[in-house]
Amino acid sequence: MDDAVSNVLKRGPAVAVPASPGWAAQRRRAFLLGLAPALAVLAAITVAPALYLLLTSLTPLNLVRPEETAWDFAAPWANFVELATDERFVNSVGVQVRLSVATVSLQLLAGLAVALLLHAGSRFLEAVRSAFLVPMVLPPIVVAIMWKVLYTPEISPVHRAAAALGAPFSSLITNPGAALWAITLADVWEWFPFTMLMVLAALQMMPDEPLEAARIDGAGPWQLFRFVVLPLLRPTLVVAALFRLIDSIKAFPLIYVLTGGGPGTVTEVTNFYAFVQAFNFSYWGYASAITVMMVAGIFFLSWLIMRGVGMEVDVE
Amino acid sequence: MSDGKARPRRRDRGGRVVAAVGTGALLVTVLFPFLWLLQMSVRPNEDILGYRLLFRPTLEHYQALRVGQFPRSFGNSTLASVASTLLSLIVGVPAAYALSRWPFRARRQVALWVLATRMAPPIAFTIPFFLAYRHLELLDTVSGLVLIYLTFNLALVMWMMRTFFDSVPKTLEEAAWIDGSSVWGSFFRVTLPLAAPGLAATAVLCFVFSWNDFFYALILTRTKAMTAPVAIVNFMQYEGWEWGKIAAGGTLVMLPVVVFSLVVRNYLVSGLMAGGLKE
Repeated sequence: MDDAVSNVLKRGPAVAVPASPGWAAQRRRAFLLGLAPALAVLAAITVAPALYLLLTSLTPLNLVRPEETAWDFAAPWANFVELATDERFVNSVGVQVRLSVATVSLQLLAGLAVALLLHAGSRFLEAVRSAFLVPMVLPPIVVAIMWKVLYTPEISPVHRAAAALGAPFSSLITNPGAALWAITLADVWEWFPFTMLMVLAALQMMPDEPLEAARIDGAGPWQLFRFVVLPLLRPTLVVAALFRLIDSIKAFPLIYVLTGGGPGTVTEVTNFYAFVQAFNFSYWGYASAITVMMVAGIFFLSWLIMRGVGMEVDVE
Repeated sequence: MSDGKARPRRRDRGGRVVAAVGTGALLVTVLFPFLWLLQMSVRPNEDILGYRLLFRPTLEHYQALRVGQFPRSFGNSTLASVASTLLSLIVGVPAAYALSRWPFRARRQVALWVLATRMAPPIAFTIPFFLAYRHLELLDTVSGLVLIYLTFNLALVMWMMRTFFDSVPKTLEEAAWIDGSSVWGSFFRVTLPLAAPGLAATAVLCFVFSWNDFFYALILTRTKAMTAPVAIVNFMQYEGWEWGKIAAGGTLVMLPVVVFSLVVRNYLVSGLMAGGLKE
């Protein structure tokens, strides 16, 4: 056995694993032991609530009249039929799409650009790296308050500076044409460091050899970036985009504090509309139906994206 | 073997100065909303909207926070975030390692499931959790918050740590196995230390996401378990627009996460494989 092992070791590390059936079974048991608790907890906090949500969406549950409406499956599809003709719901989906596309693409660009800028390697740049992380680690509610200050004309330093320069402008968050862009700007500001952090981490872990080889072959900075760095960063960028897309659908505090979904329903995303239906109007069945549609939409979209870019869930 | 990080080729000094100045300007612009709130929190009430840089700072707004619900909400935030981070790491890290190394048949399905959990919007959990908590007497409790924070933290740990474990070469732990180490023995002695920057990053993100949560706390708490982010919004709604107090409360809420993240930041930048074996 010892000889076999040392022979294997001499041949190369890739296959240097004891291959006896006893060891394989032992490994399997060990891995199962590590995995099982997490899967049990995950099932209790995700599968059970999902089923609860699905069942609630088939009822007219209204917490003002819970006795009459709880677990009433007389007309299971009523909520979904109503959704199809609910203009406020259709509008909310449109708002969400516009917000997500704008924020995710701008965050990827900004995050990648700043990461490449900061990776250059000088002492000074290393010191300011952490400072660029600040927007992301701030509590979203504090971010919302910061931008509320900047967007409220009576108190905003930006509005006063613009007025002093002779170019006053009216409030962006009460202007139907600008409110969504105002939220987009705040959201990009808040989350570009996420992409930046992931790209920086990937750059740190990037093997030196391909870069060295390309340099020796005489590649310039742009060629290095385009043909070596960018392909190596691609999986990171895809994961970052996917995460940001998913999280862009959760942008609640900014909308809650800055516009409350208004003016009118200009910034009312689907998430916010479901919140309003459940917690303001107490239509829990209807809110559940909106949420079920939302979850289905997110899963479908993610599936499309992962297919489109050829990303496997098993990152191998 | 390589002796650490590759150094970029030396650039001319002028170019580096320009890059540094540009970065500095960019940094100030990016941090402006943050700095503005910070200075508002120490500006006297008479001059709260002023913009002169020279003023006598005051702590009056912070002192005003010592009465009322704010201190208690701060404690609730701390307790819920720490408990949720620890719990999700304990449960999630071994699972992430098993997902990374064990090629069992349903691995793809499990990975999809974890990803799906991470994708679901908070409202999808809030509605059933709220309805269930009414019967379980978990509404307005810190335990209720810890439990619902697991919905995002556990998936985050499993997803992130798996990626980090994937990038740790198997060669090192295989060598430990040959030396007679058990699967979890080699995991704790070899793999986990190599993935320490990833672990730190994951822990920070768990803590930060829990601490930063506004949506779940807004809905699942009333007074007893109210967290600090919800308490600040209550200043806005019930006590009028007292900007000094709002800014001071916001500063106190953002301070722990900013400090904590910046402390652990050093582990993130030190390369994962610094000094390790490369093939």
